[in-house]
Amino acid sequence: MQNKSDVSNLALFALNIAEKLTAKFAEIYFSLSDYLNIDIEENSIKNNEIGSDLGVGIRVINQKGSLGFAYTNRLERNYIEKMVKTAISMMRTGTEDPDFKDLPPKYEVYKSVNGLYDKDIKYLSIEDSILYAEDLINICDKDDMAISQSGNFSSSYNKTFIFNSNGLSIDSKTTISSISSHVIVKDKITNDTSFGYESQIERNLNDINGKEVVKTALKNAKRNLNRKKIKSIKAPLILTPKGVISFILRPLASAINAETFQYKRSFLVDRRGECLGPEFLNIEDNALIDGAVGSATFDGEGVPCKNKRVIDKGKFLKSGLLHNSYTAGKEDVESSGNAARDSYSSLPAIGITNLILQSGKSSKDDIIRNVKEGILLDYTGDRPNISTGDFSGLILQGNLIQNGEILDALNETMFGINLLDLFKNIEEISKETKIYGPFQAPFVKIADVQIIGSAS
Amino acid sequence: MEIADELKIYDDSLVKELSNLARNNIEYWDIRTTLNNGTVLSFTNQRSKEISSYETLECGIRAFINGGWGFCVLKKIDKNNIIDGFLKAIKLARKSQSLCKFQFNIKESNPLNKKFKIKSVRNLESIDIKDKIEIVKIHEDISSKYSKEIKNTRTVYLDRYSKNLFLNSFGSQVYQDLEVLRLFSAVYAQRKGLIQNAMNSVGGVGGFEIMETEAAQNISLKSAKQAIMLLDAKSPVGGKFNVIMDPKLTGTFIHEAFGHACEADIVLNKESILEDKIGKTVAIEEVNVIDDPTIGQGKKFNLPYELYGSYNVDDEGIPSQKTVIIEDGVLRNFLHNLETASRMSIEPNGHGRANSSVATPQVRMGFTYLEPKDWKLEEMIEDTKSGVLCEDFQYGYTDTTTGNFQFKCKFSYRIENGEKKELMRDVSLSGMTLEVLKRITAIGDKSTFNYSDGICGKGGQGVRVCDGGPFIRIKDITVGGLN
Repeated sequence: MQNKSDVSNLALFALNIAEKLTAKFAEIYFSLSDYLNIDIEENSIKNNEIGSDLGVGIRVINQKGSLGFAYTNRLERNYIEKMVKTAISMMRTGTEDPDFKDLPPKYEVYKSVNGLYDKDIKYLSIEDSILYAEDLINICDKDDMAISQSGNFSSSYNKTFIFNSNGLSIDSKTTISSISSHVIVKDKITNDTSFGYESQIERNLNDINGKEVVKTALKNAKRNLNRKKIKSIKAPLILTPKGVISFILRPLASAINAETFQYKRSFLVDRRGECLGPEFLNIEDNALIDGAVGSATFDGEGVPCKNKRVIDKGKFLKSGLLHNSYTAGKEDVESSGNAARDSYSSLPAIGITNLILQSGKSSKDDIIRNVKEGILLDYTGDRPNISTGDFSGLILQGNLIQNGEILDALNETMFGINLLDLFKNIEEISKETKIYGPFQAPFVKIADVQIIGSAS
Repeated sequence: MEIADELKIYDDSLVKELSNLARNNIEYWDIRTTLNNGTVLSFTNQRSKEISSYETLECGIRAFINGGWGFCVLKKIDKNNIIDGFLKAIKLARKSQSLCKFQFNIKESNPLNKKFKIKSVRNLESIDIKDKIEIVKIHEDISSKYSKEIKNTRTVYLDRYSKNLFLNSFGSQVYQDLEVLRLFSAVYAQRKGLIQNAMNSVGGVGGFEIMETEAAQNISLKSAKQAIMLLDAKSPVGGKFNVIMDPKLTGTFIHEAFGHACEADIVLNKESILEDKIGKTVAIEEVNVIDDPTIGQGKKFNLPYELYGSYNVDDEGIPSQKTVIIEDGVLRNFLHNLETASRMSIEPNGHGRANSSVATPQVRMGFTYLEPKDWKLEEMIEDTKSGVLCEDFQYGYTDTTTGNFQFKCKFSYRIENGEKKELMRDVSLSGMTLEVLKRITAIGDKSTFNYSDGICGKGGQGVRVCDGGPFIRIKDITVGGLN
């Protein structure tokens, strides 16, 4: 499927059948992913893997808005024909949907975004990939306290082709590479063990820095040793960038999803246009950053991607929702270019591109230095209830801060807050930020959070 | 039983050729090839959102030598591609081997030559799409009309019938014809600014008859009732309490907080709190924990199908079997795949599972449960001065390195002087696994035993599992709440 004309011919073949069988709208989506993957276990190379996934999906919709979908990874014409016929029979059994307006039109212009494809990744060999994995292993080997590591290096070359019955025809090629380290450390005196995790995802191979990743994982693991129980307190909570992502940005990504919104499953329903937080709180979803993991010229339906402000000077904008063409049609607005599609096997959902909480004025060291008693939160496995905004969860990786110093790691410590209160209570945002895949976040200080300790 | 045409490609001459290529190059290989067909039906507010169907043919080839693995996933399956992929897997394995620190051999086991077919009454392949949609529509109708406070409903039906062929270098040839089905019902209720939701699912290995069981037919009504109930629930107060867990939570605790630490790959990676604990007391004497993914347990629960977490053979050709994990409070066995069993010099116990032919098998659970004892639920409540009765869970997770776990419960009732009081929502429970296993103060009897099913994620792969147990009571559990 390397050849564009082969793909176009197959797409036309499928669209023709769909049209003959009374589909009013049809869309063909091809995707190819060539990938490699190296697994580390027990701080040793464990498994080398290469693979390829190529397939096609078809979406057909009749004049009443009823949708049928089918996909296959068997690209011979007879299987594609069978797939189209299956999709049509699915379409005929569905209910009508007056909210469906149209598939995206043919667009004349797409904004260009650079740095989404790196030929070094496309032509990367297993031998060269192993060097990245060895960076992780060597540093861990030399560390006195590290007792084990599991990790991973992977890369993929991805091609996408979209064709629809409105004449839209577009394709892209992108690359992605990632590295991750999960280390286990042991304090030889107390015999206490703990883990630390760090990862990096990039469009360009040159940006991958395994040494830095494993060093950070080790630092996180050591900071989490010899955990202590504390008594319950009401205190400021300092979120690390990772904490901001898991606790603010990921939940927000679900809450501003137009589908969640339209079904009234979001705690932000009825809050459009309202001030949620301080003047210095700014959040945007920007698809047009050169070289960023979440960037794209077009989304999963071929709609041009753009930059959208979500929270501007503390205010949740009316235009701050993420749409695909269906949810946009339902509200009679333009799609924001946020149709998300993992591969040919899924229908377009809604997802973020690069979700960014913009940096503030304070330095992170000052923020921590000025805390008399508080909590540093790096990671919680819990997630807020998106429909209510309520959160109560366990601090899996966090530390006590006293008189400006980061002290003991916390054991069996929980905390609870509603996300609306959390936004209101944001006191400071650091100027330093970190990028993890499609997220960018600074350190954030939240005032007056109820911490539930288990020390008696 | 006739095997699917697509899988007939592995004739004697191809297998012989592969064996010749492997000779003197690698110690072990296996090939998994699956033809999948399936349906996804998703309705929201009585409208179809997704009606889809798929057909995929997948193949993964694995090679091993002296501690190193190689894995190659094919995009197209024909003889030339299989041979080419096989050679690539060999090359990848040899590369892994040249760098890995732990050298070991896979212990050879007896070849298994068998064909398995799930005995479904209403074969999924023969059911018309309209009949499947009708079921979804009925459930949407029930949940939407239950109350005016129900603002949003969602029903999802998923089925898959697959034909899978497993070949390995021991001479095994295992053919499996499998049918799996799952139905979800989610309901969102709203009263003024307050939104609450409830979700339930029914899943099993078998045909369309799964939809005719009482549990499946009541699923939407159950979700609707629960969502409305939660509108009246109060936010919990945090602190330390005696907690009574229902079978769903007991199962979650046994699976998440304890079971993952018994997976031998986690143990070897030094991530488990149970390393060096075999033969030692890890729980009170009344505790017995089992993992039993064997086929044939559906009838124990009066079901006309097999449990969602069950299987005939794992993804490394080892038959599923009952494994005693804790016996009378003493840790007896870990769960193993071929690799971990070989390295720990014991027999593999059938826990090498992958979520598809294009993913490598890992050590995974099947149906993990705590055996019942002798308490009645009423006795447990009466015997509790102050505590919380927790039912059903939203999610849970564990740090296996320390054993610190956390579960979010769906329904929780305050207990005061032996009486069940008001309903609370979003109660979270946390504790340290090994401490909690010794703080169990009551284990329910057989009549309180039940199980639940779900998808368990590990290393990016989700596999179908079940877990269960009776009601149990534990003292001094940390309960988190908003207040």
